[in-house]
Amino acid sequence: MSEAALEIPTVADFARTFRRIQAEIHKVIVGHEQAVEELLIALFSSGHVLIEGVPGTGKTTLVKSLGLALNLSFNRIQFTVDLMPADITGTRVILSGDDGRREFAFQRGPVFCHILLGDEINRATPKTQSALLEAMAELQVTVSGTTYPLQPPFFVMATLNPIEMEGTYPLPEAQLDRFLLKVRLHYPNENELVKIISSTTGPEDAGVTPVFEPGAAASQVEALKRLVRSVIAAPAIEAYAARLVRATQPANSKFVADGAQSIHDEMVNRYVAFGSSPRGAQALVLASKVRALLDGRANIAREDIEQVAVSALAHRIMLNYAAHSDGIEAAQVIERVIKSVRGARD
Amino acid sequence: MRRSFRGTDEKLGLILGQVTGLRRRLNSLALQHGLLGAFAIVIGIGALVYAGAFLLTPLWFLAAASLGALFLIAGVTSFGRTAWRRRANLVKAAELADERGGLRGRLVTIVQTPLATRRSPLWSYLVEDTLGHRAEFIPSAIESHRISRVIFPFLGSLAFALAVVPLANVVHHKTAAIAPAAGDITVDLNDLQLRPAEPGDEPGAEVQADPSTMRQLEAKLAREGFAPGQGSASGVSNMLNQARKFADRMQQKVRGASVQPPLLTLHLADAGPQPNPVEPGSEPWRHGSNEDSAGQFQRDEPAGNGPLPPPDPTSPNLAPEPAGGENPTASNDLNSGQNQGNPTSDQHSADESASGQRSTGGGAMHGIGADPDSLFGAPTPTKLGAEGFEISIDARPMEDGAKGAGHAYSPPRVHAPLSARQQPDEPIARGDIPPDDRDTIKRVFDR
Repeated sequence: MSEAALEIPTVADFARTFRRIQAEIHKVIVGHEQAVEELLIALFSSGHVLIEGVPGTGKTTLVKSLGLALNLSFNRIQFTVDLMPADITGTRVILSGDDGRREFAFQRGPVFCHILLGDEINRATPKTQSALLEAMAELQVTVSGTTYPLQPPFFVMATLNPIEMEGTYPLPEAQLDRFLLKVRLHYPNENELVKIISSTTGPEDAGVTPVFEPGAAASQVEALKRLVRSVIAAPAIEAYAARLVRATQPANSKFVADGAQSIHDEMVNRYVAFGSSPRGAQALVLASKVRALLDGRANIAREDIEQVAVSALAHRIMLNYAAHSDGIEAAQVIERVIKSVRGARD
Repeated sequence: MRRSFRGTDEKLGLILGQVTGLRRRLNSLALQHGLLGAFAIVIGIGALVYAGAFLLTPLWFLAAASLGALFLIAGVTSFGRTAWRRRANLVKAAELADERGGLRGRLVTIVQTPLATRRSPLWSYLVEDTLGHRAEFIPSAIESHRISRVIFPFLGSLAFALAVVPLANVVHHKTAAIAPAAGDITVDLNDLQLRPAEPGDEPGAEVQADPSTMRQLEAKLAREGFAPGQGSASGVSNMLNQARKFADRMQQKVRGASVQPPLLTLHLADAGPQPNPVEPGSEPWRHGSNEDSAGQFQRDEPAGNGPLPPPDPTSPNLAPEPAGGENPTASNDLNSGQNQGNPTSDQHSADESASGQRSTGGGAMHGIGADPDSLFGAPTPTKLGAEGFEISIDARPMEDGAKGAGHAYSPPRVHAPLSARQQPDEPIARGDIPPDDRDTIKRVFDR
């Protein structure tokens, strides 16, 4: 079946396309299966991804491969301390016309693309970081009072380097909340490393074949995103997602329940300063919908929600000093919350 | 398009019908769980209580019945709550089917999705997809049991009851067959030894005597420190009595019998003035000849001892003399329980032990500080090997002892027939002491 026929895609079309993109990316990226899948889940959920990994684990390569596979426009911004917002969004410059007249014209920044890679986003100042906020949330950029829309699909992938924290600016919670998922890239194991060596040190680089036709890629991706939105979520499943999110909030964790079965997770009350925002629940359901389609279902299940919960919620909860001193990570808290909520349900 | 909608609706109807069937089965199981479980508990505990009514003493029966009632309430409540929790609506049945059939939320989504959401382009796909998994959520595949597994405890409980109830009856009838009946006993007033009743003892006898003897009995009681009408001062004893009576009534009801155990009729006779044990010049050890029978009685037989009056045949309390009237536990039966916890009883006992003269266990008194001249008495005539036996008995006047005895309880009596070689509980006969030894002993005491 031609990919051009995806204007009204089916569940099977979605799964097939998704797997094809995955396969193309894995021609270049060795290992990181879960990271690649979560990256695509975020893309088709109309979200953005924060990628955390030490240098050399293939963050930039992963994003470039995705751009190539989707056959969409791709830009990369290396965030530095002296990077200005205008360097991202664009600015008005004076242009001289053929007739010698000079006038201000808007010079589009790198944000005007389909896939944007913000490399080491935590090295820029908060002011520059926040320049991405409007673009990510509303798909538009406002410069000098003029608003410029971005062409969908617009997908931001920002990378974070967890080491070399000196001279960095941790992303504010409001910025973090804009990312649908946070993906971690770990060191490859030995077999994966051998494959990486052999595939990158040979005479030829492995090439990525675009899945979509050049002119139709954006519309086809948008069609697939609409299909994701059509997946049906039962009220009970939505309630489960809401309960999970509320259970991460210290003030509410003890009241999240059906009737007498209250959830009181001591870990949340002890280690979490601020729980997930409502965007967390939206992220849970949207990402679950993609997972349901990948499984050939038109409905989401609790298992889908539990599988994406760590990626969707871990970066949205703020741990306190007790957690840092005890070596507790957000992912551990989320896993504990899942167990508590599941236990209360059973 | 219209036709497609109808097709989807029909498929949806098939799915919902199957889920409804599952729901019906789950609710049936929940109902069975509650009913059978409750019945199992009721029957099991009922059988135990029934058996206890025959086999246990009243206080033990009361304790067992109370415990059984607690277990009954807890068990029935527990089964009821479990059944209530297991009841299923359509959503719960769908959830269970999703979980057990591995349907990953398909059924819940179909059951719960509101009409507005059913316009989603994926709705028909969902219905079709779910119908494709139809075999995985047929009721028998999700819940294979039609009958709750609580049937096994129920049947076990039933079998237990069927086994226990007749067994209890048999054991009870055997016990009743060997239990001695009450009878008449005649005893001399002077031979009566009085002591306080054990706490919780039931009146098991009534005392009959002519007025003068009764007055003497009262006087004796007063001398011994038992005030007339002196009831049980202890609250615990009182409670025990109340509890016993209540348990007794319960047992009677459970047994379906209202027959009261017969009372022992004690005829008091006055064979003459009671020798004063502390009278100066009296010889305590010589009194032993009397004390052979002091505090003891002999059955009222034709060859009995003493001019005891025959029992009044007109008395309604008189019963035919039983064959097994030699029940040694009769002494407890005679204690009316109204002297329980008598504060003077301890003093009375103390006086007895201090003087060493009121001990009526038979045999001479060899008290400390006795006169060496009268240190030794004549050899005690013994009745070794005599037929029959003697037991000590405590009794009180009928006015006190028989009060409330209308529902008197007679504890189970132990029938212990004597063997031919068994000797009664009597003092060992003393032998003669050679005159030389007497002198020697006398010298020792003189020194």
